Amino acid sequence: MNTMSESLQKLQNRILSDARLKAQETIKEAQANAQQTLEEARRRAQKESEEIIAKARVEAENVRRSILSSKVRVNRLRILDEKNRIVQDIIHTVEDQLSSIATTDQFENTAQRFVAEAVKAVESDQPIVRIGFKDATKKNLDGMSRVLPKGGKLVIDEKPIDDFGGVIATDPEGRVVFNNTFKSRLERLDNQLLTLIASTVFSE
Amino acid sequence: MSGIDAVKKVVETETQARRIVDEAAAKAQKVISETREQAERIRQEAVASAQGRRDGILREAKEKAEAEALQSDQETEQILDTYRKLSDERKAAAVSKAMALIVNG
Repeated sequence: MNTMSESLQKLQNRILSDARLKAQETIKEAQANAQQTLEEARRRAQKESEEIIAKARVEAENVRRSILSSKVRVNRLRILDEKNRIVQDIIHTVEDQLSSIATTDQFENTAQRFVAEAVKAVESDQPIVRIGFKDATKKNLDGMSRVLPKGGKLVIDEKPIDDFGGVIATDPEGRVVFNNTFKSRLERLDNQLLTLIASTVFSE
Repeated sequence: MSGIDAVKKVVETETQARRIVDEAAAKAQKVISETREQAERIRQEAVASAQGRRDGILREAKEKAEAEALQSDQETEQILDTYRKLSDERKAAAVSKAMALIVNG
Protein backbone atom coordinates (compact mmCIF):
# COMPACT_ATOMS: atom_id res chain seq x y z
CA MET A 1 0.00 0.00 0.00
CA ASN A 2 2.90 2.28 0.76
CA THR A 3 4.30 1.74 -2.70
CA MET A 4 0.95 2.64 -4.25
CA SER A 5 0.73 5.75 -2.16
CA GLU A 6 4.18 6.83 -3.21
CA SER A 7 3.38 6.26 -6.87
CA LEU A 8 0.21 8.28 -6.54
CA GLN A 9 2.12 11.10 -4.87
CA LYS A 10 4.65 11.08 -7.69
CA LEU A 11 1.87 11.16 -10.28
CA GLN A 12 0.25 14.09 -8.50
CA ASN A 13 3.57 15.93 -8.29
CA ARG A 14 4.19 15.28 -11.99
CA ILE A 15 0.75 16.55 -12.98
CA LEU A 16 1.20 19.71 -10.94
CA SER A 17 4.79 20.21 -12.11
CA ASP A 18 3.70 19.93 -15.76
CA ALA A 19 0.88 22.36 -15.14
CA ARG A 20 3.22 24.89 -13.47
CA LEU A 21 5.73 24.54 -16.29
CA LYS A 22 3.00 25.12 -18.88
CA ALA A 23 1.73 28.09 -16.89
CA GLN A 24 5.23 29.59 -16.75
CA GLU A 25 5.66 29.13 -20.49
CA THR A 26 2.29 30.73 -21.17
CA ILE A 27 3.18 33.75 -19.01
CA LYS A 28 6.67 33.96 -20.47
CA GLU A 29 5.31 33.82 -24.00
CA ALA A 30 2.74 36.50 -23.17
CA GLN A 31 5.46 38.71 -21.69
CA ALA A 32 7.67 38.22 -24.74
CA ASN A 33 4.74 39.09 -26.99
CA ALA A 34 4.03 42.12 -24.83
CA GLN A 35 7.62 43.27 -25.12
CA GLN A 36 7.51 42.85 -28.88
CA THR A 37 4.16 44.64 -29.08
CA LEU A 38 5.52 47.58 -27.09
CA GLU A 39 8.67 47.82 -29.19
CA GLU A 40 6.56 47.72 -32.34
CA ALA A 41 4.22 50.35 -30.89
CA ARG A 42 7.18 52.61 -30.07
CA ARG A 43 8.58 52.17 -33.58
CA ARG A 44 5.23 52.98 -35.15
CA ALA A 45 4.68 55.95 -32.85
CA GLN A 46 8.12 57.25 -33.72
CA LYS A 47 7.43 56.80 -37.44
CA GLU A 48 4.02 58.44 -37.17
CA SER A 49 5.55 61.36 -35.24
CA GLU A 50 8.26 61.80 -37.83
CA GLU A 51 5.66 61.79 -40.61
CA ILE A 52 3.57 64.42 -38.81
CA ILE A 53 6.65 66.61 -38.29
CA ALA A 54 7.86 66.18 -41.89
CA LYS A 55 4.39 67.05 -43.18
CA ALA A 56 4.29 70.05 -40.84
CA ARG A 57 7.60 71.33 -42.20
CA VAL A 58 6.29 71.12 -45.78
CA GLU A 59 3.04 72.78 -44.69
CA ALA A 60 4.98 75.48 -42.83
CA GLU A 61 7.06 76.24 -45.91
CA ASN A 62 3.87 76.48 -47.98
CA VAL A 63 2.29 78.82 -45.41
CA ARG A 64 5.44 80.95 -45.39
CA ARG A 65 5.60 81.09 -49.19
CA SER A 66 1.92 81.85 -49.48
CA ILE A 67 2.11 84.78 -47.04
CA LEU A 68 5.32 86.12 -48.56
CA SER A 69 4.43 85.68 -52.21
CA SER A 70 1.11 87.46 -51.86
CA LYS A 71 2.84 90.29 -49.96
CA VAL A 72 5.65 90.52 -52.51
CA ARG A 73 3.07 90.54 -55.33
CA VAL A 74 1.10 93.35 -53.67
CA ASN A 75 4.27 95.36 -53.04
CA ARG A 76 5.50 94.89 -56.62
CA LEU A 77 2.15 96.18 -57.83
CA ARG A 78 2.41 99.18 -55.48
CA ILE A 79 5.85 99.98 -56.90
CA LEU A 80 4.61 99.58 -60.48
CA ASP A 81 1.56 101.74 -59.73
CA GLU A 82 3.76 104.46 -58.26
CA LYS A 83 6.16 104.37 -61.23
CA ASN A 84 3.21 104.50 -63.58
CA ARG A 85 1.66 107.39 -61.64
CA ILE A 86 4.93 109.34 -61.83
CA VAL A 87 5.34 108.68 -65.56
CA GLN A 88 1.71 109.62 -66.26
CA ASP A 89 2.11 112.81 -64.23
CA ILE A 90 5.11 113.75 -66.37
CA ILE A 91 3.23 112.92 -69.58
CA HIS A 92 0.33 115.13 -68.46
CA THR A 93 2.77 117.96 -67.82
CA VAL A 94 4.27 117.38 -71.27
CA GLU A 95 0.78 117.44 -72.80
CA ASP A 96 0.04 120.74 -71.00
CA GLN A 97 3.27 122.24 -72.31
CA LEU A 98 2.58 120.96 -75.83
CA SER A 99 -0.90 122.51 -75.68
CA SER A 100 0.53 125.90 -74.88
CA ILE A 101 3.50 125.75 -77.26
CA ALA A 102 2.02 128.57 -79.34
CA THR A 103 2.89 130.98 -76.54
CA THR A 104 6.58 130.05 -76.66
CA ASP A 105 9.33 131.37 -78.87
CA GLN A 106 10.00 127.96 -80.42
CA PHE A 107 6.48 127.80 -81.88
CA GLU A 108 7.09 129.16 -85.36
CA ASN A 109 10.04 126.92 -86.05
CA THR A 110 8.23 123.91 -84.68
CA ALA A 111 5.03 124.55 -86.62
CA GLN A 112 6.97 125.16 -89.84
CA ARG A 113 8.89 121.93 -89.36
CA PHE A 114 5.62 120.01 -88.70
CA VAL A 115 4.13 121.45 -91.88
CA ALA A 116 7.26 120.62 -93.89
CA GLU A 117 7.31 117.03 -92.57
CA ALA A 118 3.62 116.56 -93.36
CA VAL A 119 3.94 118.00 -96.86
CA LYS A 120 6.91 115.78 -97.58
CA ALA A 121 5.05 112.73 -96.28
CA VAL A 122 2.00 113.15 -98.57
CA GLU A 123 4.22 113.66 -101.63
CA SER A 124 1.79 115.93 -103.46
CA ASP A 125 2.31 119.21 -105.36
CA GLN A 126 -1.03 120.47 -104.11
CA PRO A 127 -1.18 119.40 -100.51
CA ILE A 128 -3.93 120.65 -98.22
CA VAL A 129 -2.51 121.39 -94.82
CA ARG A 130 -4.72 121.93 -91.77
CA ILE A 131 -3.04 123.58 -88.85
CA GLY A 132 -4.50 124.26 -85.42
CA PHE A 133 -2.84 125.12 -82.11
CA LYS A 134 -4.29 126.57 -78.95
CA ASP A 135 -3.64 130.32 -78.64
CA ALA A 136 -1.96 130.49 -82.09
CA THR A 137 -2.33 133.90 -83.75
CA LYS A 138 -2.45 134.77 -87.43
CA LYS A 139 0.82 136.52 -86.95
CA ASN A 140 2.73 133.49 -85.75
CA LEU A 141 1.10 131.30 -88.45
CA ASP A 142 2.06 133.68 -91.27
CA GLY A 143 5.36 131.94 -91.87
CA MET A 144 3.70 128.59 -92.59
CA SER A 145 2.97 129.49 -96.20
CA ARG A 146 6.69 129.70 -96.87
CA VAL A 147 7.13 125.96 -96.40
CA LEU A 148 4.16 125.06 -98.61
CA PRO A 149 4.67 124.31 -102.31
CA LYS A 150 3.11 126.80 -104.69
CA GLY A 151 -0.03 124.70 -105.26
CA GLY A 152 -0.46 124.00 -101.57
CA LYS A 153 -3.33 125.22 -99.45
CA LEU A 154 -3.18 126.14 -95.77
CA VAL A 155 -6.30 125.79 -93.64
CA ILE A 156 -6.07 127.35 -90.21
CA ASP A 157 -8.26 125.83 -87.48
CA GLU A 158 -9.16 128.11 -84.64
CA LYS A 159 -9.17 125.22 -82.21
CA PRO A 160 -6.26 122.88 -81.53
CA ILE A 161 -6.39 119.77 -83.70
CA ASP A 162 -6.55 116.45 -81.77
CA ASP A 163 -6.65 118.10 -78.32
CA PHE A 164 -3.05 119.36 -78.16
CA GLY A 165 -2.69 120.92 -81.60
CA GLY A 166 -0.69 120.11 -84.71
CA VAL A 167 -0.82 119.67 -88.43
CA ILE A 168 -2.66 117.28 -90.76
CA ALA A 169 -1.71 117.17 -94.44
CA THR A 170 -3.61 115.42 -97.25
CA ASP A 171 -3.33 115.21 -101.00
CA PRO A 172 -6.15 117.06 -102.91
CA GLU A 173 -8.20 113.86 -103.20
CA GLY A 174 -7.86 113.11 -99.51
CA ARG A 175 -6.41 109.66 -100.24
CA VAL A 176 -3.10 110.21 -98.49
CA VAL A 177 -3.28 111.64 -95.02
CA PHE A 178 -0.38 112.39 -92.73
CA ASN A 179 -1.27 113.24 -89.16
CA ASN A 180 1.47 115.32 -87.58
CA THR A 181 -0.40 116.45 -84.49
CA PHE A 182 1.14 116.26 -81.04
CA LYS A 183 -1.32 113.55 -80.12
CA SER A 184 -0.27 111.48 -83.11
CA ARG A 185 3.42 112.09 -82.40
CA LEU A 186 2.85 111.07 -78.76
CA GLU A 187 1.29 107.82 -79.97
CA ARG A 188 4.03 107.15 -82.55
CA LEU A 189 6.78 107.82 -80.05
CA ASP A 190 5.00 106.17 -77.12
CA ASN A 191 7.59 103.46 -76.42
CA GLN A 192 10.55 105.82 -76.76
CA LEU A 193 8.79 108.37 -74.61
CA LEU A 194 8.10 105.93 -71.77
CA THR A 195 11.66 104.60 -71.88
CA LEU A 196 13.09 108.12 -71.92
CA ILE A 197 11.00 109.28 -68.96
CA ALA A 198 11.62 106.11 -66.95
CA SER A 199 15.37 106.20 -67.55
CA THR A 200 15.57 109.89 -66.72
CA VAL A 201 13.63 109.58 -63.46
CA PHE A 202 14.44 106.12 -62.17
CA SER A 203 17.96 105.30 -63.39
CA GLU A 204 20.78 105.17 -60.83
CA MET B 1 -5.97 3.72 0.31
CA SER B 2 -8.53 2.23 -1.97
CA GLY B 3 -8.40 2.43 -5.75
CA ILE B 4 -11.39 4.75 -5.78
CA ASP B 5 -9.64 7.12 -3.38
CA ALA B 6 -6.58 7.08 -5.60
CA VAL B 7 -8.62 7.98 -8.67
CA LYS B 8 -10.32 10.77 -6.71
CA LYS B 9 -6.91 12.11 -5.72
CA VAL B 10 -5.74 12.10 -9.34
CA VAL B 11 -8.92 13.84 -10.52
CA GLU B 12 -8.48 16.50 -7.80
CA THR B 13 -4.86 16.99 -8.78
CA GLU B 14 -5.78 17.35 -12.46
CA THR B 15 -8.44 19.90 -11.54
CA GLN B 16 -5.84 21.82 -9.58
CA ALA B 17 -3.42 21.57 -12.52
CA ARG B 18 -6.09 22.82 -14.94
CA ARG B 19 -6.75 25.75 -12.61
CA ILE B 20 -3.04 26.62 -12.59
CA VAL B 21 -2.94 26.55 -16.41
CA ASP B 22 -6.21 28.49 -16.72
CA GLU B 23 -4.99 31.12 -14.27
CA ALA B 24 -1.77 31.45 -16.25
CA ALA B 25 -3.76 31.82 -19.47
CA ALA B 26 -5.93 34.50 -17.87
CA LYS B 27 -2.85 36.29 -16.60
CA ALA B 28 -1.28 36.08 -20.04
CA GLN B 29 -4.44 37.45 -21.59
CA LYS B 30 -4.37 40.29 -19.07
CA VAL B 31 -0.72 41.02 -19.91
CA ILE B 32 -1.58 41.13 -23.62
CA SER B 33 -4.61 43.32 -23.00
CA GLU B 34 -2.68 45.75 -20.80
CA THR B 35 0.13 45.80 -23.32
CA ARG B 36 -2.28 46.76 -26.11
CA GLU B 37 -3.61 49.59 -23.96
CA GLN B 38 -0.07 50.71 -23.17
CA ALA B 39 0.85 50.56 -26.86
CA GLU B 40 -2.15 52.72 -27.71
CA ARG B 41 -1.16 55.18 -24.97
CA ILE B 42 2.39 55.31 -26.37
CA ARG B 43 0.96 56.05 -29.81
CA GLN B 44 -1.44 58.68 -28.54
CA GLU B 45 1.26 60.40 -26.48
CA ALA B 46 3.67 60.39 -29.42
CA VAL B 47 1.01 61.73 -31.80
CA ALA B 48 -0.05 64.41 -29.30
CA SER B 49 3.56 65.43 -28.83
CA ALA B 50 4.08 65.52 -32.62
CA GLN B 51 0.90 67.54 -33.07
CA GLY B 52 2.22 70.00 -30.48
CA ARG B 53 5.48 70.30 -32.39
CA ARG B 54 3.51 70.64 -35.64
CA ASP B 55 1.52 73.54 -34.19
CA GLY B 56 4.79 75.12 -33.03
CA ILE B 57 6.42 74.71 -36.43
CA LEU B 58 3.42 76.24 -38.21
CA ARG B 59 3.16 79.11 -35.71
CA GLU B 60 6.87 79.82 -36.04
CA ALA B 61 6.68 79.73 -39.87
CA LYS B 62 3.71 82.09 -39.86
CA GLU B 63 5.43 84.51 -37.47
CA LYS B 64 8.60 84.40 -39.54
CA ALA B 65 6.67 84.99 -42.77
CA GLU B 66 4.75 87.87 -41.22
CA ALA B 67 8.02 89.42 -40.04
CA GLU B 68 9.46 89.03 -43.55
CA ALA B 69 6.24 90.48 -45.01
CA LEU B 70 6.58 93.46 -42.69
CA GLN B 71 10.17 93.89 -43.84
CA SER B 72 8.97 93.74 -47.45
CA ASP B 73 6.44 96.50 -46.64
CA GLN B 74 9.18 98.63 -45.12
CA GLU B 75 11.50 98.08 -48.09
CA THR B 76 8.64 98.93 -50.44
CA GLU B 77 7.92 102.15 -48.54
CA GLN B 78 11.60 103.09 -48.86
CA ILE B 79 11.52 102.40 -52.60
CA LEU B 80 8.34 104.47 -52.99
CA ASP B 81 9.89 107.32 -51.01
CA THR B 82 12.97 107.15 -53.20
CA TYR B 83 10.84 107.24 -56.35
CA ARG B 84 8.87 110.23 -55.07
CA LYS B 85 12.08 112.10 -54.26
CA LEU B 86 13.58 111.19 -57.65
CA SER B 87 10.39 112.35 -59.32
CA ASP B 88 10.55 115.70 -57.53
CA GLU B 89 14.23 116.14 -58.41
CA ARG B 90 14.12 114.91 -61.99
CA LYS B 91 10.64 115.77 -63.22
CA ALA B 92 11.75 118.98 -64.90
CA ALA B 93 14.56 117.18 -66.75
CA ALA B 94 12.22 114.37 -67.81
CA VAL B 95 9.61 116.86 -69.09
CA SER B 96 12.29 118.75 -70.97
CA LYS B 97 13.67 115.61 -72.65
CA ALA B 98 10.15 114.39 -73.45
CA MET B 99 9.26 117.76 -74.99
CA ALA B 100 12.41 117.62 -77.12
CA LEU B 101 11.55 114.10 -78.26
CA ILE B 102 7.94 114.94 -79.22
CA VAL B 103 8.73 118.31 -80.78
CA ASN B 104 11.94 117.31 -82.58
CA GLY B 105 11.78 113.53 -82.73
